[in-house]
Amino acid sequence: MTNEAVAHESDHHAPPPNVAADVVARELVATTTGASGRFKAWTWILGILSVVGIAALIVKFIDQGDDSTKWGYVAAMVSFLLSVAGGAPMVAMAPVMAKANWVRPITRIASLFSFAGIATLIMLIPLVAILPPLVTEGARRRTIWYMAPDYSPHIWSTLGLVLLLLTGIMLFYSAALPDFASMRDHSTGWRQRLGKRLARGWVGTDVQWRTLRMRIGMFGTFYFLILVFVNFLISTDFGQSMVPGWRDAIFPMYHTVSGFQAGVAGVVIALYFSRKYMKLEKYIHLDAFWSLGRLLFALTLLWIYFFYSSFIVFWYGRSMNDIATLDLLIKGPMIYAFFAGMILLWFVPWWILIWNKVRRGTGAMVVGSFVILLGLLIDRIRTFVPAWSVPPENIHQKWLQEIPATVWPDVFDILIMAGGISLVAFTVMMMTRVIPVLSVWQVQEFNLLAKPIRYIKGHATLVAKPD
Amino acid sequence: MTTAEFGSHNWGMVVDVDKCIGCNACVIACQAENNIPLNSQDRVERARSISWIRVERYWEGDFPDAKARFIPIMCQHCENAPCEPVCPVYATYHNSEGMNVQVYNRCVGTRYCANGCPYIVRFFNYWEPVWPESLRNHLNPDVTIRSRGIMEKCSFCVHRIRRESRSARSAGVEIADGAVQTACSSACPTSALNFGNFNDPNSKVSKMKEDKRHYTLLDQFGTDPNVIYLAKIDADKKVGSGAAASHD
Amino acid sequence: MQQRRELDQVYTNRKLLNGQLDTPKWWLPTVSILGVVVLIGVVVIATMINKGLGVTGLARPVYWGLFITTFVFWVGISHAGIMISAILRLTQAEWRRPVTRAAELLTVFSLLTALVFPLIHAGRPWRIAYWIMPYDVARGIYPNIRSPLIMDPVAISTYLTGSTLFLYIALLPDLGNLRDRTTGWKNAMYTVLALGWRGNPRQWKMQTVGGILLSALMLPIFVSVHSIVSWDFAIAAAVEGWHSTIFAPYFVIGAVHSGVSAVVTMMALMRWLWKWDDFIRPEHFDALARLLIVVATGWLAFTFLELTFALYGQDAPEIALREMQMFQWPWNALFITFFLTAYLIPVPMWLFKRVRTNIALMFWTSILVNVGMWLERFLIIVPGLARRTPFVYTWEAYRPSPVEWTIFIWSFAWVTFLMLLFSRFFPLVPLFEAKESQVFTDDVMIGRAKVPAIVREAD
Repeated sequence: MTNEAVAHESDHHAPPPNVAADVVARELVATTTGASGRFKAWTWILGILSVVGIAALIVKFIDQGDDSTKWGYVAAMVSFLLSVAGGAPMVAMAPVMAKANWVRPITRIASLFSFAGIATLIMLIPLVAILPPLVTEGARRRTIWYMAPDYSPHIWSTLGLVLLLLTGIMLFYSAALPDFASMRDHSTGWRQRLGKRLARGWVGTDVQWRTLRMRIGMFGTFYFLILVFVNFLISTDFGQSMVPGWRDAIFPMYHTVSGFQAGVAGVVIALYFSRKYMKLEKYIHLDAFWSLGRLLFALTLLWIYFFYSSFIVFWYGRSMNDIATLDLLIKGPMIYAFFAGMILLWFVPWWILIWNKVRRGTGAMVVGSFVILLGLLIDRIRTFVPAWSVPPENIHQKWLQEIPATVWPDVFDILIMAGGISLVAFTVMMMTRVIPVLSVWQVQEFNLLAKPIRYIKGHATLVAKPD
Repeated sequence: MTTAEFGSHNWGMVVDVDKCIGCNACVIACQAENNIPLNSQDRVERARSISWIRVERYWEGDFPDAKARFIPIMCQHCENAPCEPVCPVYATYHNSEGMNVQVYNRCVGTRYCANGCPYIVRFFNYWEPVWPESLRNHLNPDVTIRSRGIMEKCSFCVHRIRRESRSARSAGVEIADGAVQTACSSACPTSALNFGNFNDPNSKVSKMKEDKRHYTLLDQFGTDPNVIYLAKIDADKKVGSGAAASHD
Repeated sequence: MQQRRELDQVYTNRKLLNGQLDTPKWWLPTVSILGVVVLIGVVVIATMINKGLGVTGLARPVYWGLFITTFVFWVGISHAGIMISAILRLTQAEWRRPVTRAAELLTVFSLLTALVFPLIHAGRPWRIAYWIMPYDVARGIYPNIRSPLIMDPVAISTYLTGSTLFLYIALLPDLGNLRDRTTGWKNAMYTVLALGWRGNPRQWKMQTVGGILLSALMLPIFVSVHSIVSWDFAIAAAVEGWHSTIFAPYFVIGAVHSGVSAVVTMMALMRWLWKWDDFIRPEHFDALARLLIVVATGWLAFTFLELTFALYGQDAPEIALREMQMFQWPWNALFITFFLTAYLIPVPMWLFKRVRTNIALMFWTSILVNVGMWLERFLIIVPGLARRTPFVYTWEAYRPSPVEWTIFIWSFAWVTFLMLLFSRFFPLVPLFEAKESQVFTDDVMIGRAKVPAIVREAD
């Protein structure tokens, strides 16, 4: 009887009050309307930046479309956007499978990120056109596509990303049915009509609930598999195989894990802003931040572990492959990015997130998340920019003979990067106008399953664990 | 002939594969010089024979055009030796004269170095070494007898180098080029094995090294060996295909 | 989930202390037989040290064989303890409770066994102090810290120390319980060991905080141990099958796979031998099997990546090695067995709840996993070394000698022997955890449904 409860006796404060189910529905549906002036201003700014970014992408393609060495930053951007927009919905999925209660209210905000996958797809289009074929000048480069047809990476990466976008949207939609029904019942105007159309006659019968849960499980698993698959493809085809001799078995895994890390960071940021500016303190409990904080901390440590695992093997290996890979990615043209990434992606977040006090609050958590996202962007630049800077005529050598110089971003690259990031934020912000930012039925369920109780001298929660 | 600055030695070997006739004299000389236990039939069959230098047979080319070749292989005394960083007790390390040396007294026999070696030229003593009574008086007093449980490998006949440098030092002169010969190089009837100082630009080996036939074994591992090979000359092939004998 | 059973504390005490307060009938014969096997093993080890490593089957170029495989295997098993106790504790998985003690024990004993192998496998074990001890007066040089073989003993001994502390801290309340129920020399022993445990709130708090702190501190060590073991292999660029960047996490997740399976094996045995049906229930097997499905599938993904990127380079030696490992006799037979036992048979079976809650099936499938995981290590280490290098002089296969097999069997007997010896004096299921889980679980009514619930601290 003296377990964790005792250990944190001093931290106890009264649990948040329970809110009645119909109040939840009304209040959450009301968040979709009545955007503040500041919200509108930001949407405009982000929207314009996105348009400029896309325009820059088109101009760059027309201008530099024949020189693959100039496209490293766009490749880094694809990888970064895939990490954030693809990783975030996993936050909704993973703990659901582990039946965690804290995650219920925030699944919606996480799955809104799947719409931002459109930004990744836009960035990928010119890149696919520029990616060198598997066979250049009669020689085949090292890829995972040993004997496959020449343009396999192009086809499969595009297909994968499209499939990821569609599955993400399906995952979102299958969990959103009851909320569309609440919009039908509680909203007005086009939102009500939309809710009516998309709720597909949801009334909440047993069969409907069972189907809903089955769908979430199915699309969730499917989403996870596709996400891992796409991460593997993008990281190998658009990264590793562009460098002769870079053979790094953990890199796809590293890419996936840092994708999850970025996803969690993105969710924390979104959660922070919606909690603060949409007045959702009642629904987004600090418990969610606490749990996300622990998850983020664990992922940060996992990142450094995966990084170090590959680093030390290259470092000790000292074969020509290993030396060239280290020279290109760490010691050579990208040394600044390497140190910046190390500090921003690991050291600073580590020292921020290690404190329980920080994880129980919101302010430092959101700072940590921004630092992580910035660090991740730099880390993606570190891996993808030098990879693309290898001239295509050297791509099938046994190992890299000549380390290319640092490639700095030009105006287009900066505009494209700003545009891509803005497009993600813009998409998520616009989606909050369409559907409540918190899942109404999950909040209701959360309140139903967790019951605050008095325990010995303190407070505790009795959490029901249905099968 | 000028000599290098005193003490500045980078010992190395140049192996002219074209001159090698595969007679195995180097192997026998090495066995006798370095007190290597007899490789009985049983030991050879169980792959426990010890042979600091060996003449390898290999095939070059694909079937109808295949050629049987041979090449002497000993410790390559790599500058970037994979065996060195893995030894927990510094039993093998790189000395200042470009040699990869094995300190028998330190060795505890983890055999990690042997796993790291791409040339597989390190040998483990599975048993206490024994010689027939008749051979006991033939052992070389300059060379330690290795007890069981430790690694051994080609030492570039370090005892001969030490002997020469001692006498050169006491005489106040430099070691003359060619004064130090390893057992194998002095036994080689065709001068395929040449031992000398790479730091001396005028030494025989330094000049031979410049031959355009030169290559090193398994260069993809980046080991930077101090044993340089000169490629076999093919009547029907162009000279200087460096990777010809790297067995890819 | 099954209906919860109310178990009163007296019953819990009587039932869980049945190994200490009276001796089960099977105990003495079993321990004697195991003791004989252990003795034979010790004699064989002594002979090997006396005669030299020539008695093994090792031959150039396979310088590491069965011993190192078994070393890696036992280090892998040792990952059970911290996985179950620390990670599940930090993630507040309720079902871990009856299993914690057994898992920690497995950690300690398997580490003790694992440590034996690198020592006896060295050429001159009597000089091993030079290798392990960081101080060296006699030679004037320190060990080479660049060598993973130096990091290995450091990591493993830290892990062993931590795990022992962890085990001891969790044992304290039970020791106090035993002290109050024994007489004579046993009472004296428990009195000393219990460190004055009274069970007052301050002691409980310290015990809890100590456990949580150790859990968090042990996690990095837990990861480092098998990572370093994997780097023993991965840093060797010259061995194609070893030089892969994925080795560290691949080994760790494989270790968790085999370790948790070993815990399942142990739980089934405990349930049968001491008749603890009330405490080790099918739902615990169910939860462990679910965890295993996830871990095993993660492990499969790593295996897949390892293979993919082995072939990625499309280098002839690497492809030749894989061809040998998978398609050439006798490696192909081992490879198929490995794949079937480590994944293809057990995991699809665990997908069915009927299997997950069937103790006999869980017992056998978990044993299969460990057969497979042992083979996995063997297939990494031995074919990796027995690869056909360009030098025909070194083409040789490896066949473990009877001496190696005896020592291999000894290791299993030794771990079981230690475990049974321990069970005679200390409870294998923590009493306080069993009672705590009674207090911390409850049922709540949601509508008309009765739903099991657990108590959590409020946020």
